[in-house]
Amino acid sequence: MADDLFAAEEAIVAAAETRLAERRFGCEPDRDAFHNLLSSYKKLFRQTRRLVRISDRNENELNALAEKQRLAAEEIAQKHKELEALSTKLAKYLSPQVYDSIFAGKQEVKLESQRKKLTVFFSDIVDFTETTDRLESEELTQLLNQYLSAMSEVALDYGATVDKYVGDAIMIFFGDPETRGVKEDALACVKMAIAMRERIASLAHIWRDAGIERPLACRIGINTGYCTVGNFGSEDRMDYTIIGGAVNLASRLETEAEAGQILISYETYAQIKDEILCQEVGEVQVKGIAYKIASYRVLGLRDDLDQQSQDISEDLPHFKLSTQPHLMSDDERRTAAAALQKALASLSEPKKEQSGTRPARSQSVKAKRR
Amino acid sequence: MNNIDIAATDRSPAVSFDFKNHRLKISGESYPEDVTQFYNPLFQALDGYLTELGDGACRFEFELIYFNSSSAKAIMTLMDKLEDAAGNGASIDVYWMFDEEDDTMAELGEEFGEELENARFHLEKMIVDG
Repeated sequence: MADDLFAAEEAIVAAAETRLAERRFGCEPDRDAFHNLLSSYKKLFRQTRRLVRISDRNENELNALAEKQRLAAEEIAQKHKELEALSTKLAKYLSPQVYDSIFAGKQEVKLESQRKKLTVFFSDIVDFTETTDRLESEELTQLLNQYLSAMSEVALDYGATVDKYVGDAIMIFFGDPETRGVKEDALACVKMAIAMRERIASLAHIWRDAGIERPLACRIGINTGYCTVGNFGSEDRMDYTIIGGAVNLASRLETEAEAGQILISYETYAQIKDEILCQEVGEVQVKGIAYKIASYRVLGLRDDLDQQSQDISEDLPHFKLSTQPHLMSDDERRTAAAALQKALASLSEPKKEQSGTRPARSQSVKAKRR
Repeated sequence: MNNIDIAATDRSPAVSFDFKNHRLKISGESYPEDVTQFYNPLFQALDGYLTELGDGACRFEFELIYFNSSSAKAIMTLMDKLEDAAGNGASIDVYWMFDEEDDTMAELGEEFGEELENARFHLEKMIVDG
């Protein structure tokens, strides 16, 4: 191939060498000059052939490298895809906050812990076992997953770290790995508990269709305090969780709560009382704790309760009224007040017999008989 | 005459022209953005040295891993200068060191060596550290 490529140059060199051998030069200087020219040409020709070869070799090597790189990139992309799919599966076994924290490199996966002030949440469904006794295990699984999915959805909306599920019980905490401050964490936790309670109510009809006659209700316990948070277990199998007296107290409060109740400790109450309306339950003696615990029952968000107290709604056969004063403009209020005054005045008048507007039943019957 | 010591970069080779001890070496990879700018000062320094060398002895080592076509032309120019000096009476030894696993570099060395008639050419395997 190379010989063919340089055939013309080879022919020139061959012709020049023949000419030189024939000694047909007029004078010696001409011959020497021709000889030098031919030598330089031959050298340049050799160099050109060498450079072409080098260039081709380099190009081949580069192409081979590029192909190798392409295959490596393909392999990496495939591995990346596999790892991504695997990590997506594994992520479901972890709280999103913990997962994100590990993947962002903010948290090391080793056996270590630290103390932090957290708000801890426990909930379970009252008499779950008894209530779901008649269900087949497939139905029970579906029901439980539906319940836990709905609760997790609410928890994530409020930025909670879902620690674990134990049957129908849920353990959640606020303040780690991300914290918005102790007060905000406590507030988010109690708001989440209220939202969960409402969500369970909205699921009641689904459960009724599933054969559960008595509506399910959950009980919730919340406490704020210092906990030890981190990885516990062994180097091979660790669990990111919390331990400590504050955790136990939240669990005990949950046990003490009645159906549909959210029972919180004083430490939590002190953080949320400005926004959440609570009712003091008094000091309760909880199992496993030597001293009595001041506890509070959560009634609801102050704003919601204020609005609800202002709303008036009445639906009688001849009287319908629905007002939401907090949503009304000034003009609307004036118009509504005038209408109500008119209605009041009308209601204050003695009741008149209705005549002429509609025939009395007896008259009507008589007319038909005729 | 001052020695020349240039550290290697990603694209240009290390240069160690120890004129006092008559040991000159170019090593590494050679594909500089501007080959002329890199090699011209070396050509000039080598010309000056070889003129002063007269019939003295010199060892020139090439220990290259990769070079592009323009660098190949520069290497051939260096070899021409060494060959000319040897033709004028200097005792020149040219060493072409190649990686044991790099057949291409060994073949190139052989080809370059074919051009040398007066300078002595040595094709040798690199001694790998460690």
